[in-house]
Amino acid sequence: MDLTDQQMDALRELGNIGAAHAATTLSTMLNTTIDMNIPDISVIDLSHVHEHISDEIAAMVLFKIDGELSKGGYLLLHVPVKSAIGLVNAMLGMEDLTRPMDEMDESALLEIGNIMVSAFLDGTAGLLNVIMIPSPPGLVIDMPHAALQGIIAMQLEGNDNEVVLFRTELKSSDYSLESDLILLPDRLLLEELIQKLEQVLTLHQ
Amino acid sequence: MISDPQSPDVVYIGIGELRVSSTPLASIGLGSCIGLVLHDITLQRGGLAHIMLPDSSGRTDRPGKYADTAISALLEELSSNRKKNGEIVAKMVGGASMFSQFSESISIGRKNIERTRQILIEFSIPLCGEDVGGKTGRTMFYYPANGGRIIIKRGDGTIGEI
Repeated sequence: MDLTDQQMDALRELGNIGAAHAATTLSTMLNTTIDMNIPDISVIDLSHVHEHISDEIAAMVLFKIDGELSKGGYLLLHVPVKSAIGLVNAMLGMEDLTRPMDEMDESALLEIGNIMVSAFLDGTAGLLNVIMIPSPPGLVIDMPHAALQGIIAMQLEGNDNEVVLFRTELKSSDYSLESDLILLPDRLLLEELIQKLEQVLTLHQ
Repeated sequence: MISDPQSPDVVYIGIGELRVSSTPLASIGLGSCIGLVLHDITLQRGGLAHIMLPDSSGRTDRPGKYADTAISALLEELSSNRKKNGEIVAKMVGGASMFSQFSESISIGRKNIERTRQILIEFSIPLCGEDVGGKTGRTMFYYPANGGRIIIKRGDGTIGEI
């Protein structure tokens, strides 16, 4: 898929607004500063996905994007296991970083994911003036590459061999927390997002 | 990325790719995908395909991507360098359902397993080992020169061998 520089900039700005909303909620929840990078958008050939997403076990909360736009998009909160335990500890006032994860971690992570992803979609939907809402979440603690395969397989039925990854890192040095918000639009949703963005940009010119 | 101390020269096969070799091959993080090995016992070499979907529906651009085209492409690659293949057996890994909450993702792994089994039967290739299904991801290392041994690291932290 060929995206022009202007389209990439517009998409980056959209990701930036969404991630900034998510970072703000995380910052409020943890009462600490959250650092965020500029969203990285990559168009990746199927055969190279493993160079971008590892098999290092992480907690992942997955949402399907529902609402007014095309239904083939997903949002994923990806937190490496050690960060996930730190995040739950910070939320619940615990300290042991070496404990195993249990059901309490899972419900806390689902809740954190829900709050952050809702904020992300609020931010992007507000800019585009459409309704975007997250589906109920699914949580796995497993290999990220494996988790994404089923989604990619659903999105790429047909001739398509390219995956679009929209990734923003959210970090906090206070809790040595590392996490990523990953938006996986399918081709239809991506085209719709670009079209809506271009409308918004035209209105503001 | 996994580094395997035993085989620094391992070649990683990405989604939809396939390769025949006598040196180690690997695929990381198999979820709903299948890592299919056709191993030539006699010649101690074999191929690995990283299959994503059950059916090609006539597409030929990426034979490794679909169960039906991957098996015939592996057989073709295996016989292209030599006049005659030795005894060929199959092993398969993967086909998990990672997110049980999303109904559409459940069936892909299962369909991949069923279609792969079916086509192996059509080609009369015996399936001599498998680690498939369930809810956990798998990274596999295939050692053609070592009896076709496959080491599997699973997403739940366990390790297996077929």
